Amino acid sequence: MDSSRRLAGVARPPTFSRAGLVTGAVRIVPLLPTVAIYGLAFGISAASRLTFTETVLFSAFVCAGAAQMASLQAWADPVPLAAVTLTTLGMNARYLLLGAALRPWIGALAPAPVYGSLFFLGDSNWALALKERERGLEDAAFLLGSGIVTWATWVATTAIGHAFGAVLRDPARYGLDFVLPAFFASMLAAFVKRAADLVPLLVGAGVAIAFERFAPGPWSLLAGAVAGSATALVRRDAR
Amino acid sequence: MRADVLVAIALMAAASYACRAGGYLMMRFVTPTPRTEAWLRAIPVALVGAILGPVAANGGPAEWAGLAAAIVVMRAAGNEFISAFAAIVVVAGWRALAG
Repeated sequence: MDSSRRLAGVARPPTFSRAGLVTGAVRIVPLLPTVAIYGLAFGISAASRLTFTETVLFSAFVCAGAAQMASLQAWADPVPLAAVTLTTLGMNARYLLLGAALRPWIGALAPAPVYGSLFFLGDSNWALALKERERGLEDAAFLLGSGIVTWATWVATTAIGHAFGAVLRDPARYGLDFVLPAFFASMLAAFVKRAADLVPLLVGAGVAIAFERFAPGPWSLLAGAVAGSATALVRRDAR
Repeated sequence: MRADVLVAIALMAAASYACRAGGYLMMRFVTPTPRTEAWLRAIPVALVGAILGPVAANGGPAEWAGLAAAIVVMRAAGNEFISAFAAIVVVAGWRALAG
């Protein structure tokens, strides 16, 4: 079925219309509260490290919740550039798979709509768009429409979160220094779907803790990510 | 605005877009093997472990209770917001009581 679809896509590009754009923008609305909560959480946490303008630029151009939160954990003065860039690559590596899965659908479109839409690619609008396509959606502008609304929500709520976080005198008193760990802990349920996922998680945690003893700083994060994810390669090997 | 922050944002924006467009682009030349897919999916999981591991190791009872609350409530309620909120309340409450 997949290959016949792919052939059909090559022969005839999918539609990419204003109507599809609007449909995407409307259908994504029920998923926006989650984006908004993450946006507020990131904004509050960013307030102690970044200015308002920096936070807004950060969200507008990077637009990746988990990556932005993870890099904030490694943030310092001056910013460890290599560490935060690699953290972003690691956290967003999953987008490589999401983008690859879109090729059978949007592969026959012109480069401009494709590479424009991909800027707004996120977990929620990707999942929604592919689900709608299973039900017969043809219009590929759905992805862009839903992505732009998600992006706008993300940027706006991080700005609101920053404004809120900036007026608090003692964030630790309200547990707000714990916002990022709290969200990452709740994210575990989404990331860890099978018992096998606990292996990269626990190895990542153990290596990061051990590494931090010898070399405090942002690199423990990456050491844990490299060691933990490598377990997935080994396990595949064994099969 | 600090220059190093702007450079960091530019680098991270480029890295994000490379991931978003890269998978689509590479599908023209290669398709990911199951092993590559398993590895790419494991990276964020390992990163979250690497973030939370030191938080737990360097924290005390308040932080441990907060992490446990987030995980338990997420399992029970299935909602990220309720789970994270519960964790923050537990941490703040524990610190207030402990002193």
